[in-house]
Amino acid sequence: MPIIPAELVQANPSLNREEIQARLLAGQTLLNDSADHLLQVVAVLESYGIVLDAYSKNLIYQAEHQFLNPLALFKYLDGDLSPAKIWRHLNHDRINFEYAEYCMKAMLWHGTGGMDAYFDGEAFAANCAGVIAAKRRRDPLLALLHPLAPAFLPELIRTAATTHALGQFWRVMSDLFLDLAAAERDGRVRSIPAVVDFIKDGLVAAAANPIQYGVSIGGEQFWILPPEANLTFLVDVAVPYVEAVFLRGTPFLGTVSFNAQAQQISPDQAQFAYGALYADPLPTMGAGIPPSLLMQDMYRHLPEALHTWYLQRSRGEGDVRVKICMSFQKAMFCVTNAAINGTMPHPLDSQDPVQRSANAAYAQAWATRLAAGRTDCLAL
Amino acid sequence: MLLSSLLLVPFLGTLALLLWPSSPSPQRLRLIAIAILSVQLLLSLVALGRFDVHQSGMQLVELQPWVPGIGLDYSLGIDGLSLPLVLINAALSLVAAVITRDIDKRPRIYFAMLLLISGAVNGAFLAQNLLLFFLFYELELIPLWLLISVWGGTNRTYAATKFLIFTAISGMLILGAFLGLALLTGSVDFSLTPVLSERLSMGGQLLLLGALLIGFGIKIPLVPLHNWLPDAHTQASTPVSVLLAGVLLKLGTYGLLRFGLGLFPEAWAKLAPALAIWAAISVLYGSLAAIAQTDMKRMVAYSSVGHMGYVLLAAAANTPVSLLGAVFQMVSHGLISALLFLLVGIVYRKTGTRDLEVLRGLLNPEKGLPFTGSLMIVGVMASAGLPGMAGFISEFLVFRGSITEFPVATLLSMVGSGLTAVYFLLLVNRAFFGRLAITPTTGDALVDTRLDVRLAPVAPRETIPAIALVAAVVVLGLLPSSLSRLSEVATTTMASASQLSSGLASGLASAVSAGGVG
Repeated sequence: MPIIPAELVQANPSLNREEIQARLLAGQTLLNDSADHLLQVVAVLESYGIVLDAYSKNLIYQAEHQFLNPLALFKYLDGDLSPAKIWRHLNHDRINFEYAEYCMKAMLWHGTGGMDAYFDGEAFAANCAGVIAAKRRRDPLLALLHPLAPAFLPELIRTAATTHALGQFWRVMSDLFLDLAAAERDGRVRSIPAVVDFIKDGLVAAAANPIQYGVSIGGEQFWILPPEANLTFLVDVAVPYVEAVFLRGTPFLGTVSFNAQAQQISPDQAQFAYGALYADPLPTMGAGIPPSLLMQDMYRHLPEALHTWYLQRSRGEGDVRVKICMSFQKAMFCVTNAAINGTMPHPLDSQDPVQRSANAAYAQAWATRLAAGRTDCLAL
Repeated sequence: MLLSSLLLVPFLGTLALLLWPSSPSPQRLRLIAIAILSVQLLLSLVALGRFDVHQSGMQLVELQPWVPGIGLDYSLGIDGLSLPLVLINAALSLVAAVITRDIDKRPRIYFAMLLLISGAVNGAFLAQNLLLFFLFYELELIPLWLLISVWGGTNRTYAATKFLIFTAISGMLILGAFLGLALLTGSVDFSLTPVLSERLSMGGQLLLLGALLIGFGIKIPLVPLHNWLPDAHTQASTPVSVLLAGVLLKLGTYGLLRFGLGLFPEAWAKLAPALAIWAAISVLYGSLAAIAQTDMKRMVAYSSVGHMGYVLLAAAANTPVSLLGAVFQMVSHGLISALLFLLVGIVYRKTGTRDLEVLRGLLNPEKGLPFTGSLMIVGVMASAGLPGMAGFISEFLVFRGSITEFPVATLLSMVGSGLTAVYFLLLVNRAFFGRLAITPTTGDALVDTRLDVRLAPVAPRETIPAIALVAAVVVLGLLPSSLSRLSEVATTTMASASQLSSGLASGLASAVSAGGVG
């Protein structure tokens, strides 16, 4: 057996289920409070905010302007078809909007929350029928396609609706993360608990924001997610997003081969644990959302302080994307932490035994799921 | 004087390093050694420039009687067989000096020994006198023994002693054969003249050839005389492994061709079928043993055993194409095995292990050794004989040249060639694919992926020698004529000469027997 120098391999301490549950119930943050953590979380969320701004604009552009376009060649260009923009796009001097689409598809595929329930209802089917009829009059390709595959266009409309909803969600999150960076700069946020509180307050403030989506076809307005569906920001988009992207994810985008026949992937989607909180920060060979696209985008917008901090550690520029991913996971644990705190059934300081046990059960359910995640990023 | 300068430069360099008045830093000593070896490489290239590819005999000959009483002449010459080996010796000696970093003890002696080996190997390849060859052949032994036993791994004493015993026996057998030649023929002519039936009976020829075969068989090494090699490689440092695999093993194959085939063509023809089978066994055994290894270096060492078997096969077949293949195989094996040992050395330096049970995912682009891994894949492809690289040309020539003579042995050797892909894919798959790790798996994927592996990156300058070797392997694969035009005339002459003499002998024998009947 070879002797491996200890400095080459290190197992960071990771939180177990009991510790996570205890921290959630005690109102402590999952991520340890330290100056390094504060720098990483705030700075990485700032770059994430800049990237989310671009993702959000593009998703909304796609849903509104590339609606039912079967050959959406220029969907990532936000309507700017100038040669300079196309050249930058081809030269890969651009944001990886593909990552936003992965997240949208994960949400659509896992299908949790009120929006998915609405997609399966009759009201949505009726809206779709109206939209498709209007579109078929103008688009011969769709006119031919729809009778051949009648389920196809409604599915594309669901996709467009999810795209738009995610765009609306990220609009809020982008502003929130940029506000957080500003708050940290002017001294209003000085610790990890303050970061978690700031995000929680932002989520709670936006919780009841309506999620609506309509399209215009030939000057005629059609609702796809109408106001009367009563879809709201927190319950119908934020929670399904966390479920689909942070927790469940999809096992097919990494380079690890899974054998579904050998039950290496659970047949129950609810048991999936391939999301961002579980993803291996090493860019290859790790299942889950391939972090590399997002990390590349954030790398291009990394605040100077964090970039300098990274350069002083391990391989410097060489493994900067891995370090961004590790910081990103710390930040995402903070966001999850804020979401759990914000959705706790009862106040944590309640003395009512029934309420306390409800809180304990809620915290335990979360702790069980999170304990299998990358909790090794929380301590150091 | 050109060939003498190929000896003088490294030998004077050795002396200069040993006698240098002050005590220079290891870095300065390394630079001095690199400078001397660069001069040697330049002189080798000058020899290449002066070499006439259309001429079959020895060129640039230098002859000085030295001790005429015992038949020892200072006689040097170069032909299409030795020129590529002189070039590869110069190149790989330079590589060995360049990749010597962090030398911890006695750097002065280390670099002096490196130069001494390089000079002695040049001498052995250039010597046109049996005793002179033997002197140089023995001269590289002690420095190499020192390099393993002083600068080797933890078990270096065992490996160095084993190496010394095996190669000393090899030397004794070779000397015995050379002296036996004088004894049996009754003359002290140690020049490179074929010994034919009129001078020596077939029994005597077979006896002497047998001694040479075992002597050089140890050096090559051929199964079952290979036992010293994996241990020597495992314990030797990377530069020494590069020299050992790339250059020193070639002394064995060179000796086999030059002295076994060259001196005893008739006996060689008699033994050839057995030699071909021996080659096939060596190839198969080396390949199968390589599959079973978990130490990367031992795996590459056993692959050497297998691949050197091709040279014996080609020599046994003794056709113009197969002999050209043998030269190609010597050069391409020298480059490829040097490359592989060099890359294994980088992996070992960065991870502290060569154990295939624990190394995984080294191709990881961010935290692994991606460029080293990519070069390793190229090296492995070349070794497995993929078209476009040197290994393909040499194996193709060897098989094409041998299959008409010994179809069964050739087919078995081809199986060995296929097995190369098996063990090297095992190596690449285990060490370079998967999730980065340098520790045993715990069985719990979550625990494994929580390990933070912090390997130091490989600086670009550390990969320059490997890039140069890869370039040589690819160039030789794409432009094989660059080498074949050097050697073709020599190998064709060698094959036809030995076939002529063995044919003459059998013709004479049949004429005699026919006469007897008549």
